[in-house]
Amino acid sequence: MDDTGPVTAVEPTGDPAETLGARELVLALADDELCIGQNLGWWIAVGPFLEEDLALTSISQDELGHARALYGLLGDDIDAMAYGREPHEYLCAHITELPCHDWAETLVRHFLYDTAETVRWSALADSSWESLGAVARRALAEERSHLRHATGLLDRLLRTDAGIAHLLPLFDQLAPMAREIFDAPSGCSDGALVAAGVITCDFGNQLAQWQDIVGDALAKTGYQPQWAVADAEAAPLGGRAGRRSAHFAALHAEMVEVLSIDPSARW
Amino acid sequence: MKTYEVFLKRAGKDPFTHAGALEAPDDDLALSFARDCYARRSEGEQMWVVAREDLLVADPTELEMADRAHRHNDGAFLRDLRQAGSSEPA
Repeated sequence: MDDTGPVTAVEPTGDPAETLGARELVLALADDELCIGQNLGWWIAVGPFLEEDLALTSISQDELGHARALYGLLGDDIDAMAYGREPHEYLCAHITELPCHDWAETLVRHFLYDTAETVRWSALADSSWESLGAVARRALAEERSHLRHATGLLDRLLRTDAGIAHLLPLFDQLAPMAREIFDAPSGCSDGALVAAGVITCDFGNQLAQWQDIVGDALAKTGYQPQWAVADAEAAPLGGRAGRRSAHFAALHAEMVEVLSIDPSARW
Repeated sequence: MKTYEVFLKRAGKDPFTHAGALEAPDDDLALSFARDCYARRSEGEQMWVVAREDLLVADPTELEMADRAHRHNDGAFLRDLRQAGSSEPA
């Protein structure tokens, strides 16, 4: 290409990764995956039965893999991004920070999170940020098996009175909190992201799609999450703006335990 | 819970081989658990999962063949004949 001539027209840089808010969006997704992966990993050796133990921890590793791929879009020092930031620099949704050491809670959170992820990855699969689109398409294939696991167990349990009595109150508790997954990270305008083609569906429409999926899954029980009440009453959790929940400190301490003992550790 | 048997096939010409068993409440969850129990480290690019109750199981007494030495021809007889200089087996 001959670039010695005078510049007669200034073209936009055209790099979708430079779109206002694109990096914050990816960082928020990566932080979600990191926290979910870490929390699911807690189930190793304590799952309710062997197959479920392996399933939860395998899914945990899938989510950590997604986190690594997403951080990798933002820079080379993935450990520094994953473990080395101040708490207020993380942008994860609070639902991902919950320990959920009760298996039923983990199942409901797993269902809410992985349905949300499916919507979210779908809005990125055709991203103009090509490497982000590639991560999303790869992740979507894994989400299918995560969802089969979550919905397979949930559908069976919701066929019993005991399962309904146990699980539906958890939806009351966790579904409103999970809405935050679709909150815009600070500094992130979904209008700009849609205009640049980084996402193909704005956050509001993603939220509506997700609420339909959750509603459909629960319809046969006659129960519907009280989305409108949650909208009207709930103060913003602020996870996407850097406000951390009470659970984050312990979770983060666990994540950095090895690095804090040996900063040169490799794994 | 039902017991399922899992078979995996690597890329290329390798045949399906038995990977192990698992318990699951239904077929969909069996596929789900099979992936996470046996295929999470790329052990196979194809997987069969079959309910153990659907397998045809042979009677072990029909398989007691250890005493049938004549079915274990290792070619030694022909080799010995040829090495002895005769090209025509008796």
